Amino acid sequence: MILLQDVSKTYYLGEASVPVLKHVTLQIKQGEFVAIMGPSGSGKSTLMNIIGCLDVADSGRYLLAGTAIEHMTESQLATIRNRYIGFVFQSFNLIPRVSALRNVELPMIYAGIDPEVRRHRALTALQIVGLRDRAEHTGARMSGGQQQRVAIARALVNNPQVIIADEPTGALDSHTGQEIMKLFQQLNTNGKTIVMVTHENEIAAFAQRILFVRDGMVTETRLEHITGKSNIGA
Amino acid sequence: MLNTGIYKDVFEQALYSLSDNKLRSILSILGIAVGIGAVMAVGSVTEGVRDYVYQELESYGIRTIWIFRDPEEIKNPNRAVRQGSGISTEDYEFLRSSKTCCPAVRRVTPQVYWAEQKPVRVNGVNYLLNLEGVGVEYLTINNDQLEQGRNLTNNDIERRNPVAILGPTAAEELYGKTGPMGKSFRYFDQKYTVIGVLKRKSRQIIEQVNADTYDTNKRILIPYTNLQAILGSKDIHTLLGEAESLEASVDAMDQVRTALERRYSGRFTYKTENMQKWIDNAENYINKLRLTGLSFAALALFVGGMGIMNIMSTSVIERTREIGIRKALGAQYEDIRFQFLMEATAVSTIGGVIGLVLGIFATYVIGFSTGYDFRPSWMIGIIAISVSAIVGMMSGFFPSRHAARMNPVDALRHE
Ligand SMILES: Nc1ncnc2c1ncn2[C@@H]1O[C@H](COP(=O)(O)OP(=O)(O)OP(=O)(O)O)[C@@H](O)[C@H]1O
Ligand SMILES: [Mg+2]
Repeated sequence: MILLQDVSKTYYLGEASVPVLKHVTLQIKQGEFVAIMGPSGSGKSTLMNIIGCLDVADSGRYLLAGTAIEHMTESQLATIRNRYIGFVFQSFNLIPRVSALRNVELPMIYAGIDPEVRRHRALTALQIVGLRDRAEHTGARMSGGQQQRVAIARALVNNPQVIIADEPTGALDSHTGQEIMKLFQQLNTNGKTIVMVTHENEIAAFAQRILFVRDGMVTETRLEHITGKSNIGA
Repeated sequence: MLNTGIYKDVFEQALYSLSDNKLRSILSILGIAVGIGAVMAVGSVTEGVRDYVYQELESYGIRTIWIFRDPEEIKNPNRAVRQGSGISTEDYEFLRSSKTCCPAVRRVTPQVYWAEQKPVRVNGVNYLLNLEGVGVEYLTINNDQLEQGRNLTNNDIERRNPVAILGPTAAEELYGKTGPMGKSFRYFDQKYTVIGVLKRKSRQIIEQVNADTYDTNKRILIPYTNLQAILGSKDIHTLLGEAESLEASVDAMDQVRTALERRYSGRFTYKTENMQKWIDNAENYINKLRLTGLSFAALALFVGGMGIMNIMSTSVIERTREIGIRKALGAQYEDIRFQFLMEATAVSTIGGVIGLVLGIFATYVIGFSTGYDFRPSWMIGIIAISVSAIVGMMSGFFPSRHAARMNPVDALRHE
């Protein structure tokens, strides 16, 4: 499903160059639920942005569902994000002031889907996350957990193959975080590939596999190995 | 790929960015409204003025042509050269009866003047009025109507009858409020009887636009043969003609001039005139009026447009993160571009609609305060609204490009 080979990414701040990803190679299979962990600033979000086609690597290969991404145009990347990928962010990132329904409709607007179909599918997605009765509410009138559910509905609505979630529970209390994770697990059971960044072991425990990022390199790991590593969650 | 599902989304967002920057929005919308209002009012009023001008010109006979001997020649110190008017009664009779010489001319009539104004006397009081010797076709050519009485007849012309038709102002000056019909006045040693009074002609706008200075309501018309007898000459000073149309008047002038030059084997040169000069004067005036109004409108639109550009730039920066979200969800460059362009256009068009209402109102107010019946023109209204939309698109050009070019990762990291 997701195949990164020898991927590098360097940021340039004036004269200084900051190598963030160094020859990363990794594979995530269809239907997997993978957690990415690692110290702050280690490059987790950078990696997620590349996997999510928001950003492109400086070098290396990236195959998403068999399609080579590295030479795609901005416009092609936008189409791939729209059709293959659903984003869930730490800070929910709902469009302020517009209703939950309109937020969930957005990816379908950009996909050019008919208004009636759009509305129907948006309501179904809200139903899946248990917020059908809040369709007309704006973000300001919802709790953090509810906002994140709307964001998940929005991520699901174009029926993408991959959900990219960068610290989806980072802004939620642990109880709400657990509920979101149950939702993720349910989606995963229904076949969605999920890649999620987290600092919390209890959250990572929901994943089937854990990738650890440190100094721009990615290694496979297990929760037992992480426990006791002091700099996580800093 | 641009899609239409985006409209409701765009409209909502436009309203939000408006309410986010209330003061700036109001000022910009006001600028656009004033500009569009000016476009509407200036456009409608100038169109109204033009209608009035053409109506008035029409009332003078818009197909009229004048032929007379070149005044420079008549001023010539050489007596042999300056002799005569270059047009005689025989020339007139020829032009009137010839079927072949001047096909573009419908009818002609002679005009005879006294070089200096001589007094007209009623009960021993002298009045200075414009006395003209004319033929029976004069009223038709000049588009004159009779308020009272009758026209000159061929009989009046043949017998040089001392009868007169008065312009309405002339009639009032001579006889006050008492009815002029059948009254008389003295001119030289003859006693003239009033047989008719002309309808008043509006010259309000024509005077305003400086198309003419001669007061047509002060005329006294008598048979040209009568005035010729006083002057002791068979000269005709001006031939007044009616062409088939305004366009044909150029041909008509050429034909009459050529015929006259041929009759005198080129001894005299002639000048001709049609209504074109008056029309040009009027058009000049209208254009000046319009230019002044439109410069004002352009200034207001510029200020309003800059305001909208400012609102949009601020809005784009404030909504950087939102742009990042939209891009993450799959918005194309064109989608973002379109959204912000349409927001700017929507804001500007709101100003345009308000301006349209202001302009319609202003058109009626101007009409009311000047005493004319000016109507808002729908054509101008459509143009005005289009202008407001175009101003909006131009104001949105750079902000929307800035938004659409944003890098999604950077936009999402924006606080
Ligand atoms: N656009 C950028 N320009 C310059 N440097 C950047 C940019 N984005 C990220 N970086 C740098 O790259 C490094 C990795 O950043 P990244 O956001 O991927 O870390 P992270 O693992 O997600 O950290 P956190 O756990 O705090 O979210 C950091 O040192 C960061 O400062
Ligand atoms: Mg991060």
